[in-house]
Amino acid sequence: MVFVAKSGSGVDMISAKAKARQTAKRNELLLSLVIFLALMLAWESAGRMGYVNTFFFSWPSAIGAQCWKLLVSGALWSNLLVTAYAYCIGVFVAVIAGSILGLAMGWWKTFGSIVDPYVVFFSAMPRIALYPLLLMIFGINDLSRIVIVIIGVIFPVIFNAYMGAKQTPRLLIDAANVFGYSSNQLFLHVIFPASLPYLIAGVRTGVTLGMIMVVVAEFFGGSSGLGQNIAQTAQLYKTAELYAWVLYTSLFALILVKGADMFERWAMRWT
Amino acid sequence: MMNTHSAARLQVKDLVKAFDTPDGSLPVLDHISFSLNAGEIVTIVGASGSGKTTLLRMIAGLDTPDSGQLLLNGHAITKPGPDRAMIFQQFGLMPWLNVRDNVNFGMHVLGLSDEERQARTADAIERVGLKGFETFLPKNLSGGMQQRVGIARALAVRPDVLLCDEPFAAVDAMTRQVMQTDLLNIVTAQGTTALLVTHDIEEALFLGDRVLVFSSRPARLIHEFQVPVPKPRQHEVRTTAQFQDLRGQVWSLLQNQARELI
Repeated sequence: MVFVAKSGSGVDMISAKAKARQTAKRNELLLSLVIFLALMLAWESAGRMGYVNTFFFSWPSAIGAQCWKLLVSGALWSNLLVTAYAYCIGVFVAVIAGSILGLAMGWWKTFGSIVDPYVVFFSAMPRIALYPLLLMIFGINDLSRIVIVIIGVIFPVIFNAYMGAKQTPRLLIDAANVFGYSSNQLFLHVIFPASLPYLIAGVRTGVTLGMIMVVVAEFFGGSSGLGQNIAQTAQLYKTAELYAWVLYTSLFALILVKGADMFERWAMRWT
Repeated sequence: MMNTHSAARLQVKDLVKAFDTPDGSLPVLDHISFSLNAGEIVTIVGASGSGKTTLLRMIAGLDTPDSGQLLLNGHAITKPGPDRAMIFQQFGLMPWLNVRDNVNFGMHVLGLSDEERQARTADAIERVGLKGFETFLPKNLSGGMQQRVGIARALAVRPDVLLCDEPFAAVDAMTRQVMQTDLLNIVTAQGTTALLVTHDIEEALFLGDRVLVFSSRPARLIHEFQVPVPKPRQHEVRTTAQFQDLRGQVWSLLQNQARELI
């Protein structure tokens, strides 16, 4: 109280604190950058001086050069497009279908308890194990990759939507019922919004899982796509290019995860 | 019962309810009969777990009695409807809706025009003193303010009977007293018929035109008090000798019940 008695001093203190926090954050950022550069430099010099086997581990400048080459030649974009195509369609279908199915399971209890064991079984299963079967059925093409992405992503979405619908607070349902809500209105205005936090958590899991599915599926064959290029460069011992493809795949995944984070924060403003 | 039952807004006749438990049937309401006249505020006071909430839920249509009758304006209550509104102990606001949309929430099934709904929402928000907070989310409001939203939501549907389930049990003691005065004034101003259950004797006396004292498990109506204190009532009413005398009488009825529960 004594501090704020003098006019303006309280505000000054707050801004001074904020400034100190900003400076601390900038220093942290600077430190991590320095450490990163030091690590890269160590890797580079170890590679050049023969301390690490560059046949397996390459070195930063070579990887950087490959990254640049893939970027300017357009190879990155054409391959990214192939992967993104199967990925996006698969994730989209899985999220829509999984949400509907999961919410229906929570809403219609008999249906939920009948389907639940299947969902548990397929959730626990390493679903990529089904891919050889899909290759038998569909062949090496977009369709088989889309289907494996759907299979990979749909189960966490179903599971979470189901949990969300089941765990809608009784109080909120009562509050809607008191005012005479029909079951459709109850679903639209209470169950669905109350399930959203769970559903979005399921989508977040699905976003990363779908990426694993599509990349691994591409290992099996085809002529393009991020995963196929990783597999091909490994077979040809083009280590630097292999690293470049892995790096781009990771960046793609990172952007998706950050995008999902932003979507989650936006959709969950009320929590 | 001195009320003429034909004019009653709400009639509860010989109501019986038991819950099935693993240990057998647990009776919660034992032949309860009373009625509410239009514009009247009746409060029910009893120890916690005396079936008061169950009674409200049945009047709201959320639960069905084992036997007995519930009549609203002379018609049997079979399901929930916007002719009744409820104020919940834990508010029951939709956390994703702001104040305005939460107040709007109860009117979805009334089939009102948009203008009418907006007018009612604005009016109810004004009555509970939340003007300026329309766009706030529940998480950014205090418990007392959240319950004001709950009150506004219930008032906006202009119910024939307003049901209040321990509405201030979840807010702090000081806020509670302020909110009791405010609720009384708002409900009286709108001429709303209300039934409020509580375990707080002072609250029951302060708010009620009549106070029904319930025994605990199974609940029986053991006594009915008239509260001959004119309205509007201000906080100071609580300190009068008349009020304190009534309080002593209710307490002497309830303390034996409370002892049994401990």
